[in-house]
Amino acid sequence: MNDRIIFEDVSKFYGEVLGVNRISLSIPPGITTLVGPNGSGKTTLMNLMTGLVLPSSGHISVLGLTPADATEFFSNVGYCTQFDSFPRGLTGWQFIYDGLMLHGISEIDAFGLTRESLDRVELGDASGRSIASYSNGMRQKIRLAQAIAHHPRVLVLDEPLNGLDPVARAESLALFEELGRQGMHLVISSHILDEVDRISDRVVLITGGYLVAEGNIHQVRQEVRDKPMQVLVRCDHPELLASKMFAVNHCVEARMHADGQGVFLRTGDIDQFYSLLNGIAVEGLIKIETVAPADDDANAIYQYLIGSNGSAS
Amino acid sequence: MSVYKHNYRAYTGRVTPLWTRVLVLARYGLAEVWSSKVSIGLFTISLVPFLVFLVGIYLANNPIARFLVTKGSTPAPGFAINAAFFLKMLENQSWFALVLASWIAPRLITFDLADNALPILLSHPISRFGYVLGKFIALFAALSLVTWIPSLMLFAYQGYSSAQPWAFANLPIAAGLLAGAVIWIVFLSILGLALSSWVKWRVVATGIIFAAVFVPAGVGGIASAILRTKWGLLLNVPVMMTELWCRLLGAPDPMRPGQAIPTAAIVAMLVAACFICMGMLNKRIRAREVVRG
Repeated sequence: MNDRIIFEDVSKFYGEVLGVNRISLSIPPGITTLVGPNGSGKTTLMNLMTGLVLPSSGHISVLGLTPADATEFFSNVGYCTQFDSFPRGLTGWQFIYDGLMLHGISEIDAFGLTRESLDRVELGDASGRSIASYSNGMRQKIRLAQAIAHHPRVLVLDEPLNGLDPVARAESLALFEELGRQGMHLVISSHILDEVDRISDRVVLITGGYLVAEGNIHQVRQEVRDKPMQVLVRCDHPELLASKMFAVNHCVEARMHADGQGVFLRTGDIDQFYSLLNGIAVEGLIKIETVAPADDDANAIYQYLIGSNGSAS
Repeated sequence: MSVYKHNYRAYTGRVTPLWTRVLVLARYGLAEVWSSKVSIGLFTISLVPFLVFLVGIYLANNPIARFLVTKGSTPAPGFAINAAFFLKMLENQSWFALVLASWIAPRLITFDLADNALPILLSHPISRFGYVLGKFIALFAALSLVTWIPSLMLFAYQGYSSAQPWAFANLPIAAGLLAGAVIWIVFLSILGLALSSWVKWRVVATGIIFAAVFVPAGVGGIASAILRTKWGLLLNVPVMMTELWCRLLGAPDPMRPGQAIPTAAIVAMLVAACFICMGMLNKRIRAREVVRG
C-alpha cells in the first residue's frame, strides 16, 4: 500500500464556481496543515480527500486507495467536519457506536473502540448525555472522537480547534502530535497559525482554489526569495553587529530589540548572512548568545504569500 | 522533522457485510419515527378502522352476535366479507399511510439536511444510495404497520373465523392486498423522501407531500373536464390507486364504463413518478457542505 495522499492535477468546480484548480500534491505521513483564507478551497480539498465529493478532473488516491472501494477507503480515513452538525437526538455514545457500526465493525469491537475514543478525548463521563446538551468544546471533541474511533490511518480535521478552551486546545494538539509521531497522516485546516507552527511538519498554502506553496515551513520560507528573511541575533553589542552587517549589501534592515540586548536583521541572502555571522563570531569582538529566525513561521509565510486581503501575491 | 515510531495500528478486525450497515440507518430512522408523540398518536388512530373491520368480520361469522346487533333484521349487503370489504379496508388504511408518510418522511431526511449531518454520515463506508435505502426501509416498515400487516391480519382472522374453507378460495384477495399495499407504500415512501430532501422545513415538507398528491389530482380533473378525456385521471393518484387495487383484489370497478384507465398506464405513471423522485434524491442527497464563491 502506498503511504501517501496524492492529488494529480485535481480540479473541482461546483457548476461555475471554482472549488480548487489544478492541485498536485503528495502528502507523506505526519502532520500537514492546510492554511488559507475563508473560501480558499480548504474544505473542498478535504472533501475531495475523504471521497465526499468527486473531482471534476484529475485523480486522487489516499494510501493507494480510492473511494470506489468504500469499505477499505473509509476504514483508513477519519473525517472531522468543520460544521457543528450531528444526526439529531443522539447521545455521545450512540454517535460514536453507531458510526462504528456504519464502518462495519462488529458490536463487541465497536463497544471497546467507542469507550477507547471517548476516553481519549476525555468525554467518557458525558457519553450518556444527548449531544444537543453538549457545550461547543464538547461537540468539537465528540466529532474528533468519531473521526479517530475506527483507528484510521489518515485523519482529516477541518478546523478542529474551533470552540475549544485553552486547556482542551492544548490537549488536542498533544493528541495530534502523538498521532503524527506514531506515523499517522493528519491533515488539519486551521486559522490559528501559531499552533500550526507548533505541530506541523509541513504546510499547504491555498488561496482562491489555487495552491500557493507546500512543504516544510522553513523550506517554504527560504523559497520566498523576494521577501528578505528576518533574523534575531541576541548579543552584547547589537549596534556594532548592525553596522558590520550593513557593510554588505544583502542586509536591508536592522531594528533593535526592545531590551537593547539584540537586533532584528533583515537579509536578502540568508546563506551569506550566516557565513558573515560566523566570521564575526570567530573575531570575538561581539559575543553572540543566540541566533534565531524571526519570520520563519506560518504566520509570516501566510502574510508574504497570501497577504491580509487573502489574495496570493 | 518528527521522528516516526510507526507504531500506530489501524483496525484490522472483522467487518460486517455492506448491506447490514444500511440497517443501522434504518434503525436510526425508526427511532426517529417513534420518538414523536404525534407519530404514536397517528399510529394509534390508524388502528381504529382496523378494530372496526375486525368487529365486522366477527359479526359476519357469528350469527348470534349478528342477531343481537341487528336485532333480527337482515344485515346490510356491504357486510359480506369479500374483495369489496377488504378494498374498503385497504383504502382506509392507505389514507392513514399518506398522513403518516407526510409526517414521518420529513423527519427522516429534512432533519439531516437542516442539521448538515450528511457529511458526517457519508464519511462512513455507506453510499448515498445506502443512505436513502436506510431511510426508505424505516419509512416502509412504519407504513407497513398500518397497511398490509393489519390487512393481512384481518384476512387471516376471516380465514380462521369462517365456517367454510374461506382462506384458500380467496387467496387472490390476500395477494392483492399485499401487492396493492406494497405498491402504495413504496410510492409514498419514495415520494415522501424525495420531496423532503428539497425542503429544510419539516412543516413545509409535510404540506408539500399532501400537495403533491392532491394538486395534480385537481389539475388532472380540470384537464379531463376541459379536454373531455379520461387521461387526466392519470394525474389523480387516489383514483389511479383505487382502480389498481380493484383489479388486484378482484373487486368491482367503481369507474363508469369507458372511463377506466388501463393498468399498464397506471403502472407506467407510478414508475415514471418514482424515477422523477429518485432523480430528485440523487440531486439533493450529497455530502457537499458549503460552497463558497
